[in-house]
Amino acid sequence: MKKNDFSSLSRFLAVFVSLAFFGFSLAIAASPPPEMDSWLKQAKLGPYDTTQENWEEIVKKATEEGEVVVYSSSGRIQSLVKQFSKVYPGIKLTVHDLGSTKSVEKTKREQAAGIYNADVVTTGNSGQVIHEMLNKNLLVNYVPHHFKDRIPEAYREPLLVRVNEAVVFFYNSEKYPGSAPVTNIWEFTEPKFKGVVGMKDPMSSGSTLMAVMTLIQYPDEMAAAYKRYKGEDIKLSAGVPDAGYEFWARMLKNDLVIFKSGSKLAAASGKKGQNKPLIGFTNMTYIARNESKGFVNAIVKDLDPVSKLLYPTFTAIARQAPHPNAAKVFTAFSLGSPGLNKNSKLSKPYTKGESLDLLLGLAPYFDEGTRSPRNDVPSPMGGEIWDEMKAWDVDADFMWKEGAKIRDFWIQHSSM
Amino acid sequence: MTSNSFLSEERSPIFSRSNLTYFLYKLVNRPHLILGAICLFVLSFLVLTPLLEIIRDSLSIQSYDIAYLPDAKIGEFSLFHFERVFTGPLSKALLINPLLNSIAIGICVTLIGVSIGTVFAWLIVRTNIRFKGFFGALAVVPYMMPSWVLALAWLSLFKNDRIGGAEGMFTYFFGIQPPNWISYGFFPIVICLSLHYYAYGYLLMSGALASVDSELEDAGAICGMNRRQRMWRITVPLLLPALGSAIVLTFIRILGTFGTPALLGLPVRFYTFSTQIYASLNASNNGDAYVLALVLIVTAITCIWINNRVLGVRKSFVTLTGKGFRSREIDLGTWRWIATIGVGLFLSATVFLPLVILLWESLIIVPGEYSLSNITLEYWIGDGSIDVVYGEPGVFQSDNILSSLWNSIRLGLSAAVFNGIIGLLVGYAVVRGRGTHLSKWLEGIAFAPYIFPSIAFGAIYIGMFSTSWGPVPALYGTFTILVLITIVKNLPFTSRTGIAAMLQIDNSIEETARVQGIGWFKRMVRIVIPLSFSGLVSGMLLTFITAMRELSLIILLISPSNMVLTGLLFNYNEQDMAQHAGAVTLLLTFIIISGSIIARMISGGFGLSALKNS
Repeated sequence: MKKNDFSSLSRFLAVFVSLAFFGFSLAIAASPPPEMDSWLKQAKLGPYDTTQENWEEIVKKATEEGEVVVYSSSGRIQSLVKQFSKVYPGIKLTVHDLGSTKSVEKTKREQAAGIYNADVVTTGNSGQVIHEMLNKNLLVNYVPHHFKDRIPEAYREPLLVRVNEAVVFFYNSEKYPGSAPVTNIWEFTEPKFKGVVGMKDPMSSGSTLMAVMTLIQYPDEMAAAYKRYKGEDIKLSAGVPDAGYEFWARMLKNDLVIFKSGSKLAAASGKKGQNKPLIGFTNMTYIARNESKGFVNAIVKDLDPVSKLLYPTFTAIARQAPHPNAAKVFTAFSLGSPGLNKNSKLSKPYTKGESLDLLLGLAPYFDEGTRSPRNDVPSPMGGEIWDEMKAWDVDADFMWKEGAKIRDFWIQHSSM
Repeated sequence: MTSNSFLSEERSPIFSRSNLTYFLYKLVNRPHLILGAICLFVLSFLVLTPLLEIIRDSLSIQSYDIAYLPDAKIGEFSLFHFERVFTGPLSKALLINPLLNSIAIGICVTLIGVSIGTVFAWLIVRTNIRFKGFFGALAVVPYMMPSWVLALAWLSLFKNDRIGGAEGMFTYFFGIQPPNWISYGFFPIVICLSLHYYAYGYLLMSGALASVDSELEDAGAICGMNRRQRMWRITVPLLLPALGSAIVLTFIRILGTFGTPALLGLPVRFYTFSTQIYASLNASNNGDAYVLALVLIVTAITCIWINNRVLGVRKSFVTLTGKGFRSREIDLGTWRWIATIGVGLFLSATVFLPLVILLWESLIIVPGEYSLSNITLEYWIGDGSIDVVYGEPGVFQSDNILSSLWNSIRLGLSAAVFNGIIGLLVGYAVVRGRGTHLSKWLEGIAFAPYIFPSIAFGAIYIGMFSTSWGPVPALYGTFTILVLITIVKNLPFTSRTGIAAMLQIDNSIEETARVQGIGWFKRMVRIVIPLSFSGLVSGMLLTFITAMRELSLIILLISPSNMVLTGLLFNYNEQDMAQHAGAVTLLLTFIIISGSIIARMISGGFGLSALKNS
């Protein structure tokens, strides 16, 4: 690199900048006209989803379409490819396991670029999914008609919930035999748990972010729980607005260990034979790893003020999906077979044989930490714990309004 | 068309017939003008537009910002991002801490890496150390592996109970938990990056050392200088320019590196600039990310500027002359064997040890259990049916891995071929047009991608190619965008090799051909390309290697549809699949090394010797 390269480069830059800025000023603020309406009409979706559905005809059309592309926040859908092709030969299921953040991101970016690649998008993070995707016509809500009366309205409006899951605290039952090491959530902020609690990075994990936000949404209850624990009112740190935020500020100060991967976190708390296993603030569904990987995780079942933070995973048809009928078929498939009911005999492993034929898309999610939105699905083995735990859920509007503030708070307080 | 408009700008012609005829005549006879203009136009689009794009985005309201400023209009001018990053309450977390961390890492790694690289270069080029060829080949191997392979190996060795789960080897064998500062954060990041980037310093310095004529030192001896004086007054000043660029170039690369700090920093919440940019983009907060990217770019430009100011004047030592040239080996005496053993040990620790650790990781059934009974080949050849591997097929059975492997190879090869061609054309246009503005601009713009730290460049491209851009379609999620960014990012190297190769070909050879009425295309194919072939191949090889092992540059651009091995590797690691991660790393390293051996064989077999035969 010679010195004069730079001076001549800068001269060139100057010319280029002035030209380009002129170009930019012309290019700003042009948005494409929506061709969405004719697609909706064609696919009988949204406002055109009024007449009685002819399911056989939909399956027939779907087979003609031949393919369905799914953007998913969950990798477990991948394991359904074989079963899907068994039930619907002729429709190829392609799953993109993107994680929650990237499912949203990829859909948004592609549609902004005029690329309509996805048929079904199934992901969490209510604030973004409802406000940034559904309300901006990136997604269309679709509920298979034959499931409408089996799913409570809250789980199908404004957007269909594929599964409900929760974030809970895991502890190592070998290290803490008998019972959970805590009964009040504020105990985790004590020196005893310094560097002991681990969680996924809420900046890259949608479900964890929702759990963080859920506690922030209930500041009064958090403050009351503190008083029950300490017998005195909570003193907020400088610049912290309420007890919800205060909890996370103290957690971060107490050397919270951040993970990128839920699998690693489940191992960190649940692997046998550890001297210092972590407490994992993580997705309840990982409890299934006890069986598949021989972990010894246990769930903190009775925690004051709350032991289970709910988060829904939605499923919706993407705008201008190239295979709308196949997308409908997959949506129905992911809710389980219509023949499934409270009396169905299901046995482990759920992902094989007759159980799989009944559960279909629910099979890989049929565990203690996950619930179908349908009211006619039996409880999985050990699933009673789900109903016994006190739960909070987070409001999509709250997430949307408070989201930026919470992210900033996190960035500021997690910096060491 | 481009060339015409270029000419009219350059020479302001009067459009008379005779003038036009004259220009047409000139154009036909100066193809390098046309070529140069086309290259300049395309490269400006690929390099400068993205830069302008992020400057614009960082200065205007983005959709994410509506959450902060509900009344603002998307696209309107605002200093919001700059205020947020530089003066707001988040400034410390977003800017100051990561920047200080990155700079501290950059300085330490540059010092350690360049020192080791220089010592090695000196030992291997100028002394009578044993096994020179072998050491020389080994010393560049770390550079061929992804830089964060060492980080993976480090975690396998030294992870402690802070992140729980399977034990590290150190704990397994010695029963001691290494302290946090050894396991994660600043210290291991510096060590791992140094052990990678010393190879870079070695490459740059060995080239410079090889061109220092021993006769100059002899001349000093004749004038009565002692050893130390000769060293400090002749050798070192001759090497300073190379040392300066080695320092600056290494430093800039480290600022933009992502994989190692991401792997080793997160468990202790140690954030660097690159991980902060990644996090901001992940949260779709593009405004923050772009401001941070601009800060990185400005830092990089400042470093180059300082380097040019301080060392620039001294840059023009002519060391390659047509006269006699000797490079005398210094006899190390008794130090010979000590140096040999030292270098040998160091190279085994940095080259073989990580590979052995990863091989071991790829063979064990239960992670963290390093006994011989706990070994399987399932992760390599299994079909995923047995429970050991949780349904994920082994490396040679997995469609996922094989298709990513194919993508990686395609990416490496296509980037190498395109870079070779573009490097040649740029070199031709620059060298033949020496002295013109066009030539200078082209040379400058071809170097410009170097100043974009990799992660920032990826950030720019994701923004730029998310929507269609004039005739260029939206490239988000496509394979093309990976090829494109790899080509552009490697341009500084390939255009350098192109220029260097072209400088060696005297214009008179081509003129002779022209006198005989041989057209431009034929001259290129029959004269220019064969003469510059070996230089070209080494430039292409460098591109191939970089493209195959790149992560920082493309981490933001890959998705399942254009997945490459490095991305898959990153995912495996995130999903706690240590065995697959180890196996894929080995596979990748194996392919890169065999690729470079093949390329060496090709460039030896053709080039000049092929010309002689024809």
